[in-house]
Amino acid sequence: MEKAHVDLQKQQAPTPVETERTRNRKVYVPKVDIYETREAMVLIADMPGVDEQSVDITLEKNILTITGNVEAPIYDGKTLAYAEYDTGDYQRAFTISDEVDRERITAMVKNGVLRLTLPKAEKAKVKKIAIKADK
Amino acid sequence: MFGRSLLPSLWNEVDVSPSRSEGNPLAVIQRDMNQLFDNFFRGMGAGPLSATGEGLSRFVPSLDVRENDKELTIKAELPGMDEKDVEILLTENSLTLKGEKKEEKEDKGKNYYHMERSYGSFQRVIPLPDGLDANKAEARFKKGVLSITLPKLEAAKTKAKKISIKS
Repeated sequence: MEKAHVDLQKQQAPTPVETERTRNRKVYVPKVDIYETREAMVLIADMPGVDEQSVDITLEKNILTITGNVEAPIYDGKTLAYAEYDTGDYQRAFTISDEVDRERITAMVKNGVLRLTLPKAEKAKVKKIAIKADK
Repeated sequence: MFGRSLLPSLWNEVDVSPSRSEGNPLAVIQRDMNQLFDNFFRGMGAGPLSATGEGLSRFVPSLDVRENDKELTIKAELPGMDEKDVEILLTENSLTLKGEKKEEKEDKGKNYYHMERSYGSFQRVIPLPDGLDANKAEARFKKGVLSITLPKLEAAKTKAKKISIKS
């Protein structure tokens, strides 16, 4: 149980995340769900604290990078009484295949959850083959 | 004020020390070592796959509590939820946060490749100190982060009296 809980916590990204960063913030790896439907691959990432303006999605060659910038909390002279989480930016990269139609990728952010839809290219779609009865 | 009493769900100590020490090479080594050990032991228990099992995938929101002499704020990370999914109950000396993070059901026949996010209902009880004004409590939901503000009563705001030390 103990370990399961640890697993559910936000996890900090291992130190240099790809390149040197220009912001001195902690970086977390967002938790994602990825599933495939007949039409598309869908990626859902939990990124509490981001909105549509603060998420950047870049696709360079085969690497899809999600970056979310979270504003530093305003402390207002408050002291921390108890803490379970820390705020920081989010970053995670995925390799995608040619089977994704890159022109039609769409993204949506709602309530701190990013939803990326990666539609499948025509050639990669599942085709059903009709079986004829042999008489 | 918030000592162990609030900690039942905090099985893993969270380091709240500011990140200033990160420039120190020794501190960096120490953090890397800690991460190495954390990752190792994490691997022995629940891997990413076991999170799909019942019970383990339960969603538990993380909380931060801050205070100054005027008010107390509680923040919870609740990604993918909105104000309709959460219920906040305030009693004299505790605040209960209840809700359910629902899994979307709209897509039929989807095959999962990755399942790291967790779902489920949760309930957390946060013990509160005396001297809070329950009538003026406010809660806001923004970008998947819930913040609850509890102002302190006038009587409780009076600062500690300083006692001069005579030589």
